[in-house]
Amino acid sequence: MDSRYTRDTIRNITSILIRHPAFLGATIGILAAFSQALLISAGGPEAYGFCVACHTRDMVNGMTNIIAGTSLALAAISKNSLLPVMSVAGVLIGGYISATLHREHRIKRGTRVEYLGYFLAGVAVLNLAMVFGGCPYRAALRTGYGDLTAILFIVAMAAGVVFGAYLMLKKAEKEDT
Amino acid sequence: MATGILPKEAAVFFVPIVTLLLGILIGYLAQRSGYCSIGGFRDYFLFRHTRILSGYLTLIAASFVGYLLFWFLTPAAMEHFFWAFTSGPLTPVPGAPGGLDTAAYLIFSIVPGFFVGLIAVFIGGCPIRQTVMASEGNYKAAWFFIGMCVGSILFAAIVSGWVVALMRLLGFGV
Repeated sequence: MDSRYTRDTIRNITSILIRHPAFLGATIGILAAFSQALLISAGGPEAYGFCVACHTRDMVNGMTNIIAGTSLALAAISKNSLLPVMSVAGVLIGGYISATLHREHRIKRGTRVEYLGYFLAGVAVLNLAMVFGGCPYRAALRTGYGDLTAILFIVAMAAGVVFGAYLMLKKAEKEDT
Repeated sequence: MATGILPKEAAVFFVPIVTLLLGILIGYLAQRSGYCSIGGFRDYFLFRHTRILSGYLTLIAASFVGYLLFWFLTPAAMEHFFWAFTSGPLTPVPGAPGGLDTAAYLIFSIVPGFFVGLIAVFIGGCPIRQTVMASEGNYKAAWFFIGMCVGSILFAAIVSGWVVALMRLLGFGV
């Protein structure tokens, strides 16, 4: 009886923990530092453990370089390695596994105009992020690493989010009346 | 040149494997938790919900703790920790296009930051949320991901050159 109670408690705590964003934040932070400690000999830059925009850039450009023989720019760690960093492919696979296991995989379609809008947003977000040198995640890692310019990025991003949310709120109010 | 736990010959082999495993774990947990950096600030502004925001703030704190921990364990791998003390308070960690002065990198932090936030709030999620939504079967998010892939080739081939040329023209070159 007692051991079953303990097991259920542990299971409940694990379930709550896995579904809490703060747990993932802690996981990414610690593992990004660990992956730098493990792999930095392959090449820089520092504070590069996890980043959606940069790692997409490295994966796409690195694979294009290998397949098509081009020489598109990418980070040293991917240039020196056998294959470029693969974490974004991992995110896609992990998300798919989780969505399938928990029966949350559902096809959601949009209109062609929406597809075009999302496509252009993807191009714009990647280029803007690469001008800074990282997406919101690398900005957080860089802040943790001690880079003060990354704090500016996070503050500016929060300002952009607040401005955008305010615009959406105004638009929704106008449609209501 | 920083040296990590693995020697260079082993590290170049393990880079794709370790990052792939790391990505699978992050993707799995992100799908379970609905993790999003943009959504955190948005929900806090609109509804005063702190659940998602706590994820992003924890990430900042945890990365500091993680780097500090591995700085103690493997100092050779964390050559420039804490960056602001070792390399000057306003120099960025490399990653952005090089060869410009400090003011240019401050602009590179503020202007892209604002527009990344603005665009991401309109499409309802930061890059990782879109990637996870794409793996859940959302076609719009999949088009966002395709846009990121095309954008990365565009950036390397054209845009980075333009940005550097523009900033040089405005007098921010070294």
